[in-house]
Amino acid sequence: MKYIIHQLRIMKEVALVTYKEWSAYRTHSMVSIFVGPVYFIVQYFIWTAVYGGREQLNGMDLTQVIAYFGASTLIGYLTMDFADWNLQMLIHTGRFLTFALRPIHHRFFAFSQKLGHRFLGLIFEFIPCYFIFTLLFGIDITPKHVGWTLLSILLAFLMTFYIHYILGMTAFWFVQSSGIRRVFDLLSGIFSGVFIPLVFFPEGLQKALFFLPFPYMTYVPVMVYTGNFVLAGITMPIPVIVGLQAIAVAVVMLISEIIYRASMRRFNGVGA
Amino acid sequence: MKRIKRYLLIYRECIRVAFASATTYRLNFFLNCIIMLLGDIVFPLITVLIYNSGAGFEGWSVYEVLLIQSIFTMSTALADMTFNGILWATMFAVREGNLEMALILPVDTMFILMARTFSIDAVGLFIGGFTIFTVSCINLPAPGIFMWLKAGALFITGLCVMMGIALFMAATSFKWVGNSRIPEIFESIKGFGKYPNNIFPKTVCIITSYLFPVAMIGYYPAAVLLGKEGSASFIVLIPCLLFLAAGILMYRYMVRLYQGVGG
Amino acid sequence: MDNIITVDKLTKEYMTYKRGSSFSESLGAIFRRKKVSVLAVNNISFTVKEGDIAGILGPNGAGKSTTIKMLTGTLYPTSGSIRVMDYNPTRDRKAYVSQIGAVFGQKSQLIWDIPPVDSFKMNKAIYGISNKDYEERLKVMTRIFEVEDYITRPTRVLSLGERMKCEFIMAMLHQPKVVFLDEPTIGLDVIAKHNIREFIHEMNSRGTTFILTTHDLEDVEQLARNVIIINHGDKVFDGSLKELRNTLGEVKLVQLTLSKPLNELSIPGACIVERESELSITISVDLGVIGINEFISKLSDICSFTDISIKEMPMETIITHIYKSKEDDKQ
Repeated sequence: MKYIIHQLRIMKEVALVTYKEWSAYRTHSMVSIFVGPVYFIVQYFIWTAVYGGREQLNGMDLTQVIAYFGASTLIGYLTMDFADWNLQMLIHTGRFLTFALRPIHHRFFAFSQKLGHRFLGLIFEFIPCYFIFTLLFGIDITPKHVGWTLLSILLAFLMTFYIHYILGMTAFWFVQSSGIRRVFDLLSGIFSGVFIPLVFFPEGLQKALFFLPFPYMTYVPVMVYTGNFVLAGITMPIPVIVGLQAIAVAVVMLISEIIYRASMRRFNGVGA
Repeated sequence: MKRIKRYLLIYRECIRVAFASATTYRLNFFLNCIIMLLGDIVFPLITVLIYNSGAGFEGWSVYEVLLIQSIFTMSTALADMTFNGILWATMFAVREGNLEMALILPVDTMFILMARTFSIDAVGLFIGGFTIFTVSCINLPAPGIFMWLKAGALFITGLCVMMGIALFMAATSFKWVGNSRIPEIFESIKGFGKYPNNIFPKTVCIITSYLFPVAMIGYYPAAVLLGKEGSASFIVLIPCLLFLAAGILMYRYMVRLYQGVGG
Repeated sequence: MDNIITVDKLTKEYMTYKRGSSFSESLGAIFRRKKVSVLAVNNISFTVKEGDIAGILGPNGAGKSTTIKMLTGTLYPTSGSIRVMDYNPTRDRKAYVSQIGAVFGQKSQLIWDIPPVDSFKMNKAIYGISNKDYEERLKVMTRIFEVEDYITRPTRVLSLGERMKCEFIMAMLHQPKVVFLDEPTIGLDVIAKHNIREFIHEMNSRGTTFILTTHDLEDVEQLARNVIIINHGDKVFDGSLKELRNTLGEVKLVQLTLSKPLNELSIPGACIVERESELSITISVDLGVIGINEFISKLSDICSFTDISIKEMPMETIITHIYKSKEDDKQ
């Protein structure tokens, strides 16, 4: 119990420091207040033209697609991650050592950092954009099941973090890890559903996506947000898909731990 | 005349340096090329996915939309290679207080910053765009020579718009020091230039044709090749050139301001 | 000799924003920011003669860099005038900067990933240097610096000292009449510093005028003939190196690690300026009163020490000295 309280205190401190550190760059976050709505407007016109009077495409109607892009923009602000960049930078500059010397697990530190950083995202990106979407554009994007949505976003938060942390750890093994990270960013952009709802992909691919980490980062929480989940023609009740998402997160956490241990062996062995 | 010759010599030197740098990081260069080539497929991919699901933009076939997007990509690639680097060069110089190193050179500051950031990384992007362009052309009725010339002129004008945007971005970075998200602002507006104009409301079209003429980058050249746009499109040349001129003036003004107030 | 630089009542003032770090401050700062005015250079006048090596000395943040930026025409003064050769650096920048060179110690002109010689070629094109001149000057300068072997290796593998030498070559290929150096020896080791100073002397004897800023008194002692000292934007000293020596006296600092505590020091011209601890003290020695040799022999008579080091006076002490001697003059 004492241990947990101690850890929570560390988490709070690190998050707070990160928040303060980055609030000097709050205008960076506030760029989203312009960019988010503009992208949304473009998507709005594209999809309105695409539907052009059609009732449904791949099981989604126009209002759902519009809400989909609104929700995916908003959720992106809460889950966005650059743990990979931070970690590879620490490794390449040799500053990772300073964590090895302190009684703290770097992954825990990085997670706390992300909490602080995304809190900034909540204030300067999520909340303003939410009001722009609902009040200015008049789009209905209230989550259908608030509790499940929050849980799903939390799981997506964990998912993006652990995945990016794994990507960052590749820097222990490769001198040039930027290529791997960029390829991954590209794939996750396409297959997490940021650009287009995944139901538009060929059905075989949609099935395969269940076994890849990508949909659990954006598509799943966004569909939970909008109220009903379909992928590869399979409609799932919300609790089931969130449960599946939790399993996926658990698997990724396990993989991250295995890679972390292997990385530490390598780090202590060769002093990379 | 002598001045132009000297500037060309400087430019040649910069290109040589760009190649020398690229060869130092050969692996990284090829990787970048491939990633850019792939990244470049995202927009066309979405277009194809939309058309495959049986929907589409009214009055536009899939190849016609791909034509717009591939022209847009080629324009981006050429801009990345030749002048987009001015944004990062300026941003970096202002943040590090390094702009003096460019100002102490006896050449135009804007020119040298563009020339020095010449980059061949975007070659992959161009190849990708060109491939999609070729595929689209094969699947569309062949335009006449006059249409090609007209489209070429509009494409170059589109590049002027690109340069204007790059300069506006770089000028913004003087005031908004070290904000690496400046490009996103302009990139989001460019999104309007990647699709047929008729899907947007009239007001949006007026803005993207006359005020912030991003429609000239991809849409207008493609529309001319497809014979979809009459001679009206030549009127939109004027706001494009004015846009570039405004960008140049703005950038120069910011450099002067920097010299006046910098610390 | 004629004045090559004339600076008259030069002033630079700029506005900056105050930033808070607390949560409420950072929220509030979105809407309004506090403006603060900074007077970086305050009403400074001086001249530099052709063929001189002039040092601008001052502690960090004194306004040295701001002054040199204005002299190079890259920053506009708030008021006052600058005349270099027959140019006003603020106007007609391109014509002016083709006549000058500059090395900023912490800002590199060299391109990181490629050999210096390729960067040189870039400047050759920019300054429009003919092939013949380029080859000739490169040969001369690489010989003085003994860097013939280095200039074909990528910049990133060179040591700081080697890189600095190449920065100098790059800045001087177009044979500028005046060269501005901002902290040229910062971070360099003793040998590299020596090499750079030799080079400056060599080029100076060939007719180049140098203006350098530094916070290192040694730079000035080894290089400059005339010295300007600025502090908090004000000029506090302007004269020859000899005059500076007369003002300061020739004072060295001696740091001692003692084996037994020493309570009193009774050597003429020497006094204890700081006691870091019981066994570690700093003594200032006026070499005008007592020779260093004599001082050491007297010192070893009265106390025993395990370590000794002799240092130049730090910038802050120099400035206090100057202020003091100014006040003495007034009385």
